[in-house]
Amino acid sequence: MITGLDMDRRNLLKWSAIVPLAAAAPYTALAAVPQGVDALVIDRRHWPAGTPTPLAGLAAPQLFTIDGDVTQLWYQTLDPIWRKPGFVLGGVTGSDALFVLEVLAGDRGRRVTQRRVLDPVVAGLQPVSWIIAPHHPSVKG
Amino acid sequence: MTTPKGISAQVFADGLAEMRSAVGADWVFTSQEDLHTYRDFYSVLWDEPDERVASAAVAPASVEEVQAVVRAANARGIPVYPISTGRNLGYGGAAPVYSGSVVIDLKRMNRIIDVDEGNASCLVEPGVSYFDMYRHLQETGSKLWLDVPDPGWGSMVGNALDSGGGYTAAPYRGHFEAQCGIEAVLGDGELFRTGMGALPGSETWQQYKMGIGPSLDGLFRQSSLGVVTKMGFWLFPQPEAYLSASIDLQRFEDVEPLVDLFNELEYGNIFNGMPSITSPVLTRGNPMMFQPVPEPEVMNRMVEETGLPAWRATAGFYGPEKVIRAQWEYMRDRFSAQFQNVTFKENQFVKLPLSAEDMQKVSKARFGVPSLEIFSVGSNGFGDFNPSDGHIWFSAIIPRTGKGLVEANRVMRRECARLGIPLFMFSPAVTCWTRSFVLFAAVPVYKDGRNKELRDNVQEIIRICAQHGWGEYRCPPAFQDAVMDSYSFNNNILRRVNERIKDALDPNGIISAGRYGVWPKHLRGGRG
Ligand SMILES: Cc1cc2nc3c(=O)[nH]c(=O)nc-3n(C[C@H](O)[C@H](O)[C@H](O)COP(=O)(O)OP(=O)(O)OC[C@H]3O[C@@H](n4cnc5c(N)ncnc54)[C@H](O)[C@@H]3O)c2cc1C
Repeated sequence: MITGLDMDRRNLLKWSAIVPLAAAAPYTALAAVPQGVDALVIDRRHWPAGTPTPLAGLAAPQLFTIDGDVTQLWYQTLDPIWRKPGFVLGGVTGSDALFVLEVLAGDRGRRVTQRRVLDPVVAGLQPVSWIIAPHHPSVKG
Repeated sequence: MTTPKGISAQVFADGLAEMRSAVGADWVFTSQEDLHTYRDFYSVLWDEPDERVASAAVAPASVEEVQAVVRAANARGIPVYPISTGRNLGYGGAAPVYSGSVVIDLKRMNRIIDVDEGNASCLVEPGVSYFDMYRHLQETGSKLWLDVPDPGWGSMVGNALDSGGGYTAAPYRGHFEAQCGIEAVLGDGELFRTGMGALPGSETWQQYKMGIGPSLDGLFRQSSLGVVTKMGFWLFPQPEAYLSASIDLQRFEDVEPLVDLFNELEYGNIFNGMPSITSPVLTRGNPMMFQPVPEPEVMNRMVEETGLPAWRATAGFYGPEKVIRAQWEYMRDRFSAQFQNVTFKENQFVKLPLSAEDMQKVSKARFGVPSLEIFSVGSNGFGDFNPSDGHIWFSAIIPRTGKGLVEANRVMRRECARLGIPLFMFSPAVTCWTRSFVLFAAVPVYKDGRNKELRDNVQEIIRICAQHGWGEYRCPPAFQDAVMDSYSFNNNILRRVNERIKDALDPNGIISAGRYGVWPKHLRGGRG
């Protein structure tokens, strides 16, 4: 299932803001934030209640947050983007949210090209760090 | 590359080559990685030798391409399995019923051919998802609603063909009931249309279902007779308002007259939203888990001790505010006249279209708004539900009476407990269809070898339900033979007639072999 992804073609610097953040994050998931992607999805459920969200510190042009449900993100943003060639998406989300995104991505010729299951499972939620990239010739950039 | 049983590698390669020349090489899939996406992620046979898997997949973009693919298969006896969006999770996913079939993936045929505002109808290709149609209606400023199932990523066509349902008003939420006109490619590649679609030049295909002679739409419901390439649907003219209201009753003995009166009011068009009957005292811990109905005196004592009602009937009303308020008032009068100790509650009233604020508060499917939030409900506390592990639905039609509801609850809960079937949702009295009750139970499936026992147990439940006269209306492929077997009147004449039709319309038996227990002649002996 897992195919290689040409990470070099992406501007890693774009995500350099994440690195200091990862050290400060209350949750180890942040340390596994994928790099070198066009946009990043963060699942807010992985922050313990009451912890100030560190995301405010991210000046990323394309940073998306969800609370488990991917509907709005996909419908408003990803679906139109995924209909066109290119676009590498990374994320740290619950496995439930990734399951839905992975199926939707498949519709548009995209695959999960990296998947890292993270610890710990909190309240039944399994965090996963992942990358979804174009796969079918019709969307390869 | 695996080949379908009985087809030589050479013949299969030939067939795929012909399909490639019809649809383009990029749209025929044979790699393991590609075929993985056509597995049923909720399969009760996951990773076992008998798991139903595709040998290849092909994605045509037009009716002509579908015809070419079917002809290529028919000439060689290659089994094919059409899907629309292939999201049939809980009932088989995107995988074929007969392992080794070539999946005909119709996602690329996603044109909304027509939305007729005046006739409140549409004509769509199979790849049109609920989200696609919703977007179209929003962008064109249409005043029409569609009716959606809980997950909005499926297709209007695929969902309706498997007899799916949604949550708005009665004529729309039974999706096959709301269809009006089907076009299908038959096993020999011929193009067929039902109803007024058979009359060249007719403008009434989406107005009058039946056309002339026997009504043939049903041939394509849960069937193995064609690849549906177009389907018409009636859409719901946006109502002015919605009201959800409930009626609480305090005694076990109220259930029978409650259901009778509820039925009379729904069938008399006093309310048109989805009916549901539950028991607050028996769903205390979890609204999704209806506990076993105890003996009358025990239940009445529980009611006294907890202060919770024995029964709650909830009705939805769609229409002009004045009208639906009058309907609700009439309903209250009727219940007050018949029951002592009845209480009423307005759960929700909203004017339509929904404001942005209301949109955040409502259950979207009741308003025809597609969503995927169901896949995150497990983590919101509605039962132990993880979408990546999966579940199957057990969906039996039970009598629409108080007695029937109680008996189905007791038998199912008792037998599931005896067999150790872990349920995470159990709701014995809802319906998407007119004049029926469905007992829905969600049963978790596993990826770690526990499925064999689960399968045996579900087969046993199918048998027990059949002994009581309750039959599933829809089920995953692993149980389709057993369920079809249970419809056994006159030595299974239902299946035998289906087989005769299958032999006549698809003599080479290439389309959707085994779907809902109907196998082509050459596979019938061993049932696939
Ligand atoms: C959490 C959850 C909640 C659910 N809630 C609901 C619900 O509220 N209501 C509901 O109805 N379902 C529900 N489902 C079941 C299922 O997900 C939906 O019914 C879904 O819409 C079906 O997938 P689809 O539309 O992609 O149909 P498909 O998978 O494309 O089609 C279903 C079957 O129909 C046949 N078929 C499809 N297209 C064609 C064609 N063009 N020609 C010939 N045969 C064809 C095939 O045999 C196919 O396997 C739920 C599932 C889950 C996991």
